[in-house]
Amino acid sequence: MLRRSAAAVAAAGVLLLAACSNSNSASDGGSSGGKTLTYLTFNTPSLTPAFWKASIARAEKEAPGVTIKQVVAPSTDRDSYAKQLQASGQFPDLLQSITPSQYTEAGLLQPYDQAWIDQNFLLPQGNAIKGKVYIPPTNSQIIPLVFYNKSLFTKAGVRPPTTWSQFLDVSAKLKSAGITPLELGGNDPFAAAMPLTGALSADVLGKNPQWVQQRYAGQVKFSDADVVAAAQKMRTLVEKDYFEQGALNVSYADSIKNFNAGKAAMYPMGSWYLGSIPKDQWDTIGVFPWPTDDGSVVVPFAVGGSMAISTRAKDVAAATAFGKAWSLDPQNLKALIEGDGAFPMLKDKTLKDYDVTVSPAFTDSYSYVTKTDTKVSAIGWATNDDALPGSLNNDFYAAAQALFNSKDVKGQMAKLDKSWDTATK
Amino acid sequence: MKPLSHWFRDTSQDLGLRLIAALGLLLYLVFIVVPVFMSLRSSFTDENPLKSGSNWVGFANYSEMLHDDQLRSSVGFTLALALGVTVVANVVGLAFAMLLDRTELSYRVLRTIAFLPQVISGVIVGFVWKTIFTEDGLLNDLLARTHLAAQPVDWLGKPHLAQLSVGVVVAWVLSGFTTVVYLAALQNIPRELYDAGAIDGANSRQQFRMITLRMVAPATTISVTISLITVLKLYDVIQVLTSGGPANATQSTAQYIVKMAFTNDRFGYASSIAMFLLALSAVIALSVTSVLRRREVDL
Repeated sequence: MLRRSAAAVAAAGVLLLAACSNSNSASDGGSSGGKTLTYLTFNTPSLTPAFWKASIARAEKEAPGVTIKQVVAPSTDRDSYAKQLQASGQFPDLLQSITPSQYTEAGLLQPYDQAWIDQNFLLPQGNAIKGKVYIPPTNSQIIPLVFYNKSLFTKAGVRPPTTWSQFLDVSAKLKSAGITPLELGGNDPFAAAMPLTGALSADVLGKNPQWVQQRYAGQVKFSDADVVAAAQKMRTLVEKDYFEQGALNVSYADSIKNFNAGKAAMYPMGSWYLGSIPKDQWDTIGVFPWPTDDGSVVVPFAVGGSMAISTRAKDVAAATAFGKAWSLDPQNLKALIEGDGAFPMLKDKTLKDYDVTVSPAFTDSYSYVTKTDTKVSAIGWATNDDALPGSLNNDFYAAAQALFNSKDVKGQMAKLDKSWDTATK
Repeated sequence: MKPLSHWFRDTSQDLGLRLIAALGLLLYLVFIVVPVFMSLRSSFTDENPLKSGSNWVGFANYSEMLHDDQLRSSVGFTLALALGVTVVANVVGLAFAMLLDRTELSYRVLRTIAFLPQVISGVIVGFVWKTIFTEDGLLNDLLARTHLAAQPVDWLGKPHLAQLSVGVVVAWVLSGFTTVVYLAALQNIPRELYDAGAIDGANSRQQFRMITLRMVAPATTISVTISLITVLKLYDVIQVLTSGGPANATQSTAQYIVKMAFTNDRFGYASSIAMFLLALSAVIALSVTSVLRRREVDL
């Protein structure tokens, strides 16, 4: 569960005004003499109140004596809300899909038993922080993939590219054919940054998977030549006018509508877009990974997960039992697979076990996860040791938006170095 | 200075009033004064919302502010926005108030409509205007239908246009408030003044300059001061409308404070910026108030 919606960012202001949260017990009955634990959740179009009620009820049955009191974040920005709850002495016992790296240093989270993690998940260390797992790695995303409209490709006489030069060539041919090459919902900063995320993840982390760790150690910088060269690729797309008209004035929601309506041929977006492909378009929408210079496949990858456990939980053992039960329930992943295009990461399970119906694009995308191609941390999205500090994600998005109006690629990358220093003080 | 015993005179009316005043003072202390002092203390520490305890860092946070480019640009934008919006909202507010200064039912309804922007939540205002400004939004659609623009305008996509768009929205919101303030002032101007002016041969422009503007001067002081303070601490509308983008071009100081506090987990640094914003707002508000008060006397 990694998806960030525009509304999440937009509604962050409400958080400041939220003196109290919506909270309700998921159980119809009260506490049966057992432990009542608070559980921070959030709602999305896929993760509805009904979903939470049912999933909590199922996990409560698996963890006898546990009663859950839901604390619903006012937006999907659950990290900001969790911090506010912590600041006011109300840190929840269980926290759904937070970014663990933001809390581990303060000792707020209880790691899961590694043997249990190893036993149940495909990538046990997928979101580990210094070797410890704080959120069971139940699902993953590729950020970004490039989705494409097969009909428009056929019309322009082009095939899915594998190298960067082919990608530029395809874009040029599409433009010549009167087709907008790239859709981008740039008004929402995270969406504006998708091409930059792709370029830096593929070109920089693809060649040096330790890059983020080295940035923490001060051994590399955003203003280094290799990073600037990767960022220049996004600027090239802007200069060649390959993005749709007024890309920074298009909202994320509208970008999905535009692409589904065939207004552009390609759409760089996180794999959660898979959940937004209309059924009647399943055979029209294809997918390929962000292209590299030499055509090697690099998959910008992020392993999400379920719930973290507070070290201060009223009953850590009971909270752990509930967390394990919820995390291993295939029904909980059904909504994420179908609605958010999440790739399930439970061991010894096939898609059939989740009772889902998915598009061919989902199957193709999932193959990038299960194959042994190079998977690297999607910069700005990783939840493991490669998570960026503090507000760097936001600054990264801002840099992407800046590349629409600034030729000074190196200058924008240097700004990120300054922001890094501010965030890590 | 009245002796202390004066405050405990046992008339029931006085006692009731003092109780209400004491309650108000208590609320003000608890919810305004105490948090300000807590924030002031925090600004000299490296307080982090996730960790218990903090270290005293002296003026380190304040000296860091001097070299913070993002803070500088956010303060610059906030000040420019405050100035521009205050002028526009007060001019528009006074114009609306003069138009609506009638007693008929239809005008009373129009007054209510004029005040609506001030009543609607900032979050809703942001969402509504976002749908107006986006590429396929109402505004570009209108421009296309009337052939005023061959291409859609990037209202929120170009830094300067986004800043202008934010200004328009905030001015629209504040105009509801300024209209009501000026309307109240206009309704207190004795009709005889205009009659006397007319007898003396003053035309409508002269009546506006010599009577209306002078008589609404106290309302101008209030309206301008509150407009400035409102914009200086603006957060919600911008957060929803642009998220501070594109590329931080519309990031307000309040947004930057929130970013430092809840994204970078730097309560101490965020508090120092909050203290700076408080001081800046106080200086601007006091300066403007004193200038406008003098103007009231001069008029």
